[in-house]
Amino acid sequence: MTISLSIVLWLPLAAGIIALALPGALARWVSLLGAAMVLAYAAVIAIDYDTGAGGLQYVTDETWIRSLGVHYTLAVSGLNVFLILLTAITFFAAALWVALKDTDLPKPGLYAFLMGLAQSGVLGAFLAQDLALFVVFFDLMLVPFFFLTLVWGGPDRGPAVLKLFIYTLVGSLLMLVGAIATGVLAKAGAGHHVSFLFSDLQRAPLGKGSQEWIFLVFALAFLIKMPAFPFHGWMPDGYLQMPIPVLAVFSAVLSKVAAYGFLQVALPLFPRGAVQYQELLMLLSLASILYGSAMAFSTSQVRLILGYSSVAQLGFITLGIFALNQQGVDGALIQAVNHGLVAAPLIFIVALLAARSGGSEDLRDMGGIAFRAPILAAVFLVLTLALLAMPGSSNFIGEFLILLGAFKSKLAIALIASTGVGMAAVYALRLYIRSMHNRVGPKVESRELSRADGFVLVPLTIAIVAFALYPQAALHAGERDVRARLAPVAAVQHGGAADLAAAVRRGASR
Amino acid sequence: MNIAWFLIVSALMFCLGAVGVLVRRNPLVILLCLELMLNAGNLALLGFSRMWGDGDGQIFALIVMVVAACEVAIGLGIIVALYRRRLPVDVDELRELHG
Amino acid sequence: MSIQTAAWLVLALPLAGSLKLALGFRFWRGAMAGWIGTAAVGLAFVFALVTLVKLLDLPAEQRHVASSLWDLANVGGVHIRLGIYIDPLSTLMILVVSGVSTLIHLYSVGYMRSDEGYTRFFSYLNFFVFSMLLLVLAGNLALLIVGWAFVGAASYFLISFWYRRSTATNAGIKAFVINVIGDVGLVLGTFFIFRRMGVLDYGPLFHGVQHAFDKNEASLVAGMILILVGAFAKSAQIPFHTWLPDAMEGPTPVSSLIHAATMVTAGVYLIGRLHPLFEWAPTAADVGAVVGALTLLVAGTIGLAVTDLKRVIAYSTMSQIGYMIMGVSAAAYTGGFFHLTTHAFFKALLFMSAGSVIAAMGNEQSLDKISGFRKAMPFTFRCFLVGGLALSAFPLMSGFFSKDDLLYEVGQRGGWYYGLYAAGYIGSLFTVIYTWRMIFRTFWGEPCEQALALEHGHLYHAPHPFNPANGEVEDTGVGFPGPDHHIAEQTWQMKAAMSALALLSIAGGLLLLPFESLEPLRKFLEPTFADSIVAHPKNTGLETVGLVLSSVIAVAGIAFAYATWVTNAGGAARWQQRFAPLHNLFVNKWYFDELIDLAVVRPLAAFGRWGRDTFERIVVSGALVGGTSGIVKSGSAAVRGLQTGLLRGYAGLVVGGMFAVVLYFLLRAA
Repeated sequence: MTISLSIVLWLPLAAGIIALALPGALARWVSLLGAAMVLAYAAVIAIDYDTGAGGLQYVTDETWIRSLGVHYTLAVSGLNVFLILLTAITFFAAALWVALKDTDLPKPGLYAFLMGLAQSGVLGAFLAQDLALFVVFFDLMLVPFFFLTLVWGGPDRGPAVLKLFIYTLVGSLLMLVGAIATGVLAKAGAGHHVSFLFSDLQRAPLGKGSQEWIFLVFALAFLIKMPAFPFHGWMPDGYLQMPIPVLAVFSAVLSKVAAYGFLQVALPLFPRGAVQYQELLMLLSLASILYGSAMAFSTSQVRLILGYSSVAQLGFITLGIFALNQQGVDGALIQAVNHGLVAAPLIFIVALLAARSGGSEDLRDMGGIAFRAPILAAVFLVLTLALLAMPGSSNFIGEFLILLGAFKSKLAIALIASTGVGMAAVYALRLYIRSMHNRVGPKVESRELSRADGFVLVPLTIAIVAFALYPQAALHAGERDVRARLAPVAAVQHGGAADLAAAVRRGASR
Repeated sequence: MNIAWFLIVSALMFCLGAVGVLVRRNPLVILLCLELMLNAGNLALLGFSRMWGDGDGQIFALIVMVVAACEVAIGLGIIVALYRRRLPVDVDELRELHG
Repeated sequence: MSIQTAAWLVLALPLAGSLKLALGFRFWRGAMAGWIGTAAVGLAFVFALVTLVKLLDLPAEQRHVASSLWDLANVGGVHIRLGIYIDPLSTLMILVVSGVSTLIHLYSVGYMRSDEGYTRFFSYLNFFVFSMLLLVLAGNLALLIVGWAFVGAASYFLISFWYRRSTATNAGIKAFVINVIGDVGLVLGTFFIFRRMGVLDYGPLFHGVQHAFDKNEASLVAGMILILVGAFAKSAQIPFHTWLPDAMEGPTPVSSLIHAATMVTAGVYLIGRLHPLFEWAPTAADVGAVVGALTLLVAGTIGLAVTDLKRVIAYSTMSQIGYMIMGVSAAAYTGGFFHLTTHAFFKALLFMSAGSVIAAMGNEQSLDKISGFRKAMPFTFRCFLVGGLALSAFPLMSGFFSKDDLLYEVGQRGGWYYGLYAAGYIGSLFTVIYTWRMIFRTFWGEPCEQALALEHGHLYHAPHPFNPANGEVEDTGVGFPGPDHHIAEQTWQMKAAMSALALLSIAGGLLLLPFESLEPLRKFLEPTFADSIVAHPKNTGLETVGLVLSSVIAVAGIAFAYATWVTNAGGAARWQQRFAPLHNLFVNKWYFDELIDLAVVRPLAAFGRWGRDTFERIVVSGALVGGTSGIVKSGSAAVRGLQTGLLRGYAGLVVGGMFAVVLYFLLRAA
């Protein structure tokens, strides 16, 4: 069968537009149907993708703006195939949640439209094989989240939310500057007309000096989006104010776009910058891990515990990427999928906990929720253990490879980072015990998962367990492409600046 | 006749109109002054048309007249609406669109 | 059936039992759940026997079989298989683990009957057995780490089994976190080895280590010490031991199974398993031996002072595992694993007996309150005596032969190992005294209220169910014993399990008697340790000395305890006064908890608070977010200020601008 990536890319938006025109309940179901179709399509892609061959597949290539050399080029590679599946799964779960649980959501049509736009934006950022297209989608995907928070968010939305969106948009706009500079400078270097295609840009690497500052601009944009220490200032406000299903996709998917950006853009296009600032980035990741973990076990707001744990987990992912070797990057890639799979259901759990503790999302008001809810307790326990990267989970394989990669490139950093694993155990178990165990809190009323909750959570949990049994699926798919993206870096590391282009061509054809 | 005379008259009319727009507060008078400025432009266009001896300038002048007519229609409409809603007919009081 | 199939079945059955109980918790209520759990583990034991028979069929030099199902990860040179490794050592371990587990499951069928979480308990317990079997059967370091962490998690589940008690959940999180620290040590140690050798499977690892590393090379030693951290954390060795006494918050069968017989000996197994690596890094092995010796002494002294019945046995466990760690680190492999086996028998028995007493006391565990149970619980008393005799290495009991063989093998190496040898015998004296202090205080003396009630056939019930650790009244429903508890050695399941273990505690010595021709265990383990490069010169004199010394210590210690706690009332108090500072040190457990709190917990908590209250507010959201959005906002405010809404103002700007442009062109033209 032929697979058209434009369909999977624009399907969510199309469903959203149709939903916009429909009344209440119908809008929710249309949105769910759209998400289900995307999920089915993504699953077909993941199964059909030829991991043996690797590289770009199902390529769609059109010239979009000829004079600016911008192409509408989409493709699936070993790097994004599982991230696309993750995106489809998370958005589907969020749509299911809204369809089954939030039946009294105001303005469901508008909501469905914005979620569709967000999904198209995220998918576009993953699929784009053109730098300008990537930047467009990267900026676009943030916009619907602004409105989703502003309209359906928590009680204190407003100025705080405006502040955080300005902050993240500034980060994204910096990246636009970097992208334009890349295109222009690459043209000057290569002598032909402007092109933003990744493949063209890789063939004409930027000169010394410009690579470094452009790398920093991109890194800053990605670090803000992740978020990484110390650029995570927008995270607490965002996490506290976003509505639950929106936060689930935001936490699970958007941060992964940033991690993917490092792999897809920063490493292959600016290898010199990556090598030059490797230690800086590794130190920032280390700080993210330690600081995020310490914060996660000193706050009592459940959403913030998850938020800071994301800071720490993305610290691990960045650490793996900037180990700049095969194991580290492979680990980071699989960890990105793992963290997404775990983060989304945990956010849904927050809503379930709040519903059982009199609406409070504060650990101090919780306790003893497990009493009459064995299934909820079991699901939450599996998620907790996966979050703390229990050996046997796929998260462990990810962290194992990440730490191994870091260990090989910077021993001391890996040794310190490994304490983050212990700290993860503290905050994850603290979250679980303080909410589910101990004596019953004053306002707590323990009850089992409803059927609707089960429909959302149980499949996600099963997916996590299944992935734990066979993580090799994702690892194998990514291996070749990771090697190709690392080839320029390896060339720089081995001093051969002259044969950089040759190395890139070898890596790409491999 | 020298083109300069046409232009001098046109410039004087334009300045009169501009000063009127700036100093008067009644929208009706401002509209009149705007007409004056447009006609100053028309005069200049006709002068140039005559100078070159072709019809391009005259066509432009005709178009300006049409635009002026539309403007008057809309402007008068707005003024009538102001009267109807008993709003002050004073452009300094009508500043709700400030930033 | 091939040996591989049998071994995989050993692994699969407890997992299946655990899943069956977990998924069908609505159907398997009541005793049925207990029987399903027991049957799963019992069958695993049967297949472990099949594995043993099949293994013995193989010629001695081929007794190591690897088998794998699929790849967990195969990327970038890292190849992790889901594979097992069967050799005499792992076979011994699966036999001990599944055998003792079966008996403890049987005991729990009776013991836990009145508990609300009966099904959950057996599901956890089966999961633990699966994890432990995975740990000992794993065929590579990565899968070992998986099993390693699984047993840690199972231990956490079971310590926090009564999850309404904050003491239980605190103990659980402590155990889990210390175990995770151990896991991290293990992972990092693995990295040190993997970086050089590039393999994780045991076979290539053991054969290749001597080519890949120089003997005692720094990076190998560093890696092995990190692996030792893992072993110490799991086996409760100093300074990672503080979780074990707290783990006594779990139900007594759990203490018996996990925190005495099986899980805590994982560190011993690990050192024995990786012995080719440790022997190639003798410095690391020596570190292990010294820490083992220190632990056995420190734990022994604490055991002399604490007054909680279960905690005395817990410190005793720590001390006995200190022996084993010391033994296997000093290449006394047979002795170490022999002691591991007999210890599993008699320590499980002691915990079971203590469980009966505690249940009869209505949950009270303090030795200050327990007394005179000899008449009230004759069966438990006899079992406790057998366990106590074996623990104190009384002649001809199993513990006598195993401890002696262990210390003899350590002494054989001569040199500074004599120091360890001596420490072993000093610790032995502590062992005898604290064991018999516990026995005399529990079973001799005036019968307490609860014992009297039991003598008249009534089981004591506390007026309100309460948590013995902090006196809190129990919350709701969950918690043990329930108002209708009806145990105290009365069910046949408990009696059967205890009798079996008592017999094994007595007769376990037959596995290895101190005569050349009567050493079946040594012959069985021979193929695993055949590649050992440590020489054990024969020293018949030392062996005889050891046996005599051991007997003397046992008899003298019992006599001393009898004199102090039975015949001479107040004898103990006089000793306490005379050595008041020492007694304080022991009662406060050498202040380890306080030190760790001061050095680790508080600084981290303070860092977290500082981050939350200060850094986050001022730098992260103040300077960075506030700064960026502030600049954007003030820029837009300036632009907005120009939009006055004054029509004539706008017109003036237009006209002014136009004049400026005209003026500019005029000036340029001029």
